[in-house]
Amino acid sequence: MSITLSQIQKAAEEALIQASCGFRPDQKAAYQRAIAAEQEPGTQGMLKMMLENAEISEQNTLALCDDTGIPHVTVDIGEDADIEGSLGKLLPAVAAGIKDGLRALPGRPMAVKGDDLERLAQSAGLHADSGLLEPAPIRIKSVQGNQVTVHVLMNGGGPEIRSKTFRIFHHHDANHVFHEIANWAIEVVELLGCTPCVPAIGIGRTHYEATNLMLDAMTYRDFGDETEAEKLITDKLNASFTGSLGVGGTVTALQTFIKVGPQRASGVRIATLRMGCSIDPRRGSVTLGPARPETASEQAEERSAHASNP
Amino acid sequence: MTQIIRTPVKPGDLDHLSIGTQISLQGTLYTARDAVLPKIVALIQRNALHELPVPLNGMALLHSAFSPAGFGPTSSNKEEIESTMGTLSEAGVRIHMGKGRISDETVAAISKQGSIFIVVPPVSALLHSKLLSKRVAAFAEEGMEALHELVVDGIPGIVAAAQGESIFNQARARGLRS
Repeated sequence: MSITLSQIQKAAEEALIQASCGFRPDQKAAYQRAIAAEQEPGTQGMLKMMLENAEISEQNTLALCDDTGIPHVTVDIGEDADIEGSLGKLLPAVAAGIKDGLRALPGRPMAVKGDDLERLAQSAGLHADSGLLEPAPIRIKSVQGNQVTVHVLMNGGGPEIRSKTFRIFHHHDANHVFHEIANWAIEVVELLGCTPCVPAIGIGRTHYEATNLMLDAMTYRDFGDETEAEKLITDKLNASFTGSLGVGGTVTALQTFIKVGPQRASGVRIATLRMGCSIDPRRGSVTLGPARPETASEQAEERSAHASNP
Repeated sequence: MTQIIRTPVKPGDLDHLSIGTQISLQGTLYTARDAVLPKIVALIQRNALHELPVPLNGMALLHSAFSPAGFGPTSSNKEEIESTMGTLSEAGVRIHMGKGRISDETVAAISKQGSIFIVVPPVSALLHSKLLSKRVAAFAEEGMEALHELVVDGIPGIVAAAQGESIFNQARARGLRS
């Protein structure tokens, strides 16, 4: 049976609401671990409050954060997926679903009015309609199988202020690259405010590629096991004693997510660090078509096993 | 133990609060952020604070927008926000609420007036459950960034700067940063 465009539109809407309200099970488990690990009683109280916020948000379909974020959408399309109608209608269907989701949530009405200069200066005001917030350019990935998955990340503004894409001279030592990124993170973690943070990192050949890889890290990973490099960054942040909300504590980072892409024959690597906040990655995923994998990591596993578009 | 703060505060009400104290704020507070705070400072600088239709004396100010998506702290260390905290304290604001490290200079400037800085957790769904009423009080043209007057029953937070002390420095002293 074909996957219809109206199903795709609905999937985008549902994924946006899912991302914006409540925590995923892996995220709740990460918070339980953080609460158990936090040794400062006052700070532990703040972590408990963040988990309570997620419960209230989920039960009442209220946004986790009033900065409901800019939608970043990835659509995984199975090579054998049977999609109704013209492929040219796919992106408009996704965009329509995002608009529906923003209106239903409702998202913060933060689309800025005006021409280039007016938008830059925010001098012509804001649109009252939450649905007029344009999503970031939609990413499409080809995967094996016959399903379509719509992933929606809602990326808030606080982390954008503290994030960075820049070059690193690697000195022929991978650890040097990770230490450098950890230093970037340490420099800004107190200013973020919304700790515990969740750094998401992409390392590639160009600025575009590094940022794209960072979005992969946010889209396809669940809380749980960390690689050695991810642990290096998490541990370094936790040693800073910045703690939740910057008020001091043993848990400053919940987890780090790193995605390393192809590299250039050169002494330089390009890295993106998104200094994710306490509700990152704010992600929802809806899969259409037969035999859906259960979790994002299973979906990622399937993708990496079969990906034709790395 | 959580300390209850009721607004507007009177002289002496905040004297017993030190950094690290957990608080619960009850009463009236205003939301304002990047768009409106410099406008209030401009009123103060041209001696026209009477044009602001609400009093600042003894009041609490949360660095936040208010929209159909709710309310919650934005980064207080943004230029157009943090730079206003000293002047607003001189004009009577006693409680600044937001998030993120603020500088030692700002801590000194607000402390000189007996004002404090409270970090509020980014828990918009929970904050919404503490909201009793809201209205636009000034600068309506700024939409969600207008000055909103909220009546709340228990906004949670931690005192982060008071009497010249900064919780951010205290945390830094206990951590490794290299």
